[in-house]
Amino acid sequence: MFGKGFPFMNSGGFYSHAIESRRPGGYTSKVRVRDRYNIVGFISSGTYGRVYKAVGKNGKKGEFAIKKFKPDKEGETIQYTGLSQSAIREMALCTELSHANVVQLEEIILEDKCIFMVFEYTEHDLLQIIHHHTQPQRHAIPAPMVRSIMFQLLNGLLYLHTNWVLHRDLKPANILVTSSGAIRIGDLGLARLFYKPLNSLFSGDKVVVTIWYRAPELLMGSRHYTPAVDMWAIGCIFAELLSLRPIFKGEEAKMDSKKTVPFQRNQMMKIVEILGLPRKESWPGLASMPEYSQLQSLVLHRQPSHFHRGSNLEGWYQSCLKNGGYSSTSSAGTPGADGFDLLSRMLEYDPSKRMTAEQALEHPYFTNGGPISGNCFEGIEGKYPHRRVTQDDNDIRTGSLPGTKRSGLPDDSLMRASKRLKE
Amino acid sequence: MAANYWASTQRRHWLFSREKLADIREGLREKDKVAHSQFPLPDQRLLNIYFNQRRLIQIIELIKLGKRMSTRQQAIATAQVYLKRFYTKNEIRQTSPYLVLTTAFYLACKMEESPQHIRFVVGEARGLWPEFITPDVAKLGECEFALISELSSQLIVHHPYRTLSELQTELSLTSDEIALAWSVINDHYLTDLPLLHPPHVIAIMAIIVAVVFKPTHPSAYPGTGQSALAGSMRDGGGMQMLAALSDKTGSGPPPKIQKLVGWLAESEVDIKAVIECTQELVSLYEVWEQYSEKSCKELLGRMVKSKNLDK
Ligand SMILES: Nc1ncnc2c1ncn2[C@@H]1O[C@H](COP(=O)(O)OP(=O)(O)O)[C@@H](O)[C@H]1O
Ligand SMILES: [Mg+2]
Repeated sequence: MFGKGFPFMNSGGFYSHAIESRRPGGYTSKVRVRDRYNIVGFISSGTYGRVYKAVGKNGKKGEFAIKKFKPDKEGETIQYTGLSQSAIREMALCTELSHANVVQLEEIILEDKCIFMVFEYTEHDLLQIIHHHTQPQRHAIPAPMVRSIMFQLLNGLLYLHTNWVLHRDLKPANILVTSSGAIRIGDLGLARLFYKPLNSLFSGDKVVVTIWYRAPELLMGSRHYTPAVDMWAIGCIFAELLSLRPIFKGEEAKMDSKKTVPFQRNQMMKIVEILGLPRKESWPGLASMPEYSQLQSLVLHRQPSHFHRGSNLEGWYQSCLKNGGYSSTSSAGTPGADGFDLLSRMLEYDPSKRMTAEQALEHPYFTNGGPISGNCFEGIEGKYPHRRVTQDDNDIRTGSLPGTKRSGLPDDSLMRASKRLKE
Repeated sequence: MAANYWASTQRRHWLFSREKLADIREGLREKDKVAHSQFPLPDQRLLNIYFNQRRLIQIIELIKLGKRMSTRQQAIATAQVYLKRFYTKNEIRQTSPYLVLTTAFYLACKMEESPQHIRFVVGEARGLWPEFITPDVAKLGECEFALISELSSQLIVHHPYRTLSELQTELSLTSDEIALAWSVINDHYLTDLPLLHPPHVIAIMAIIVAVVFKPTHPSAYPGTGQSALAGSMRDGGGMQMLAALSDKTGSGPPPKIQKLVGWLAESEVDIKAVIECTQELVSLYEVWEQYSEKSCKELLGRMVKSKNLDK
């Protein structure tokens, strides 16, 4: 019964005729998904396709997650229309990278006009874990677990950054966790290399990172991505692990008809409410940012009282610890003052002053107080629920998935980023 | 470097010894003896000149890919490496080289962050070679699958340009020397060198050539300075000077070259490999003199048409 009804199991008539005619460039996959895997269910419908759970077949052991990129449809028939740049990036980067805290690619199968990226299966992700801690009522994630998650996450990120890869879409849904508590950074669909001195990162895509995790320099109109963009997102995730809510939960302003990217006023507001206004004195580049005038207009429209106080991050943090019931008596029971210091250095406005992954790993939050387990569940009682795997996958060849129509070129991440907000 | 060259797929999967490469090619030829005798083709390097140098430049001019030389060259270089790798797995006589070339370029543009729309690429390629490229974009899309599959999705390519710019200040290279080294790097893609040596070895070879064989009138444009360079490499005694580099005792050369020698000695670069690369380049420039656009075009045309490879 496994595998029945899953659309990529019926490969249609493409092969036979490709084999017969042996056309130049005529493409026949040497490996077929259904010869290697049994699909056991459906996990998620993403921006570009779907993710399935599978088990190995014919002697191949283990569980896998197969990310299927759907091709475009022109009229009724599926055509080869060229792969999206983000699929290409994800394939190339996942093939190249290998680290204990980055999702492990098993193989890539190109078959039947679709791409199948086969990954090791991970039972959890941070979104699901955070959610679990809000059910049935809020109960904080234990401090040692948060510490282990952060440590592994930063290790994975350090690996990416030293390999000149920017992730650009770090958020809880993209941080995978195995059943043995290992953290794996996933979804490299927006990642790109940043070493090329030959072409600047100004070119190409405009907006990345789901808005809640988007760094202030991007909100201020900078198009120059640096590793600091990822570090901001990590700071947001740290805060979210402690408070179980996104720390800056803004609303995204939609693109106008001319496809110009609007100033994300609401998101910027959310940040300002906690961190205070960014100031030229502490962020010298601020005044030359494209959206600087917008930022100033934001000040004019609001009660001054709201803005002219400095950062309230410490207040936010203390009440977060209090609400979470983090024990202040034992040092292992709370992220404590070190945790605050680390958080404040990751949520630094000026990207050039923001802490790097390498520095963060040396921070007292990690170096003080006991060893850190490579299993974030170590010592945790109770189980996290398994990933939901459903059987209700209808024939996706007929369904029109959002995001499968690419918005032309040069890059589709704009559309992708806005779609992602809905996740 | 995914960016780490030492752990890269390029080093692990796409670096061959000369013998291995010869075996691979012999294997491909064995599989298709008939076609080989039926459709003789020029020296591989001449074909590379025909495709890589001439066609890719043409298409890139048309597409007006970025205003900066560097962006364009990076995409061309990556496309050339894709082609080389692809043809270690496939016999050229089984493919439509024009289609594979266009596809490699289309894919390289995406990888090098200057994506072009598939319709645009097909349109321009068709404008150049109407007899070999069909208007159907699905053909290119299908070929993209074949290409990625043959390359095992290993699409990140390390180029020598980066090492060159990293060493610029360290070795106090003049802009003329950089320009010449740059064009030497461009030329090395016409040979098997990208499959035989790591990019930093190539970069160092290019720097040595530029410094030792003094640019007279370097051309930043690929493929136009080569005959002058070939001449001076053959006649100028440069080869001897180069040979002297490896015994590290020479006291004669000018300060800049001495500095280079000193740096090389410390850097643990494989001097033998560098010299081998230089020789490969000299022999490229010699073969280049026999280049005939017309004969490449005819032989390829005959092959593609009679085998219906363009259909
Ligand atoms: N290796 C995996 N194992 C289990 N579930 C996964 C795996 N990779 C992704 N998923 C699930 O699928 C979702 C979407 O995958 P992702 O790679 O983030 O694609 P998208 O581009 O659609 O966001 C993830 O949020 C996660 O829930
Ligand atoms: Mg995702």
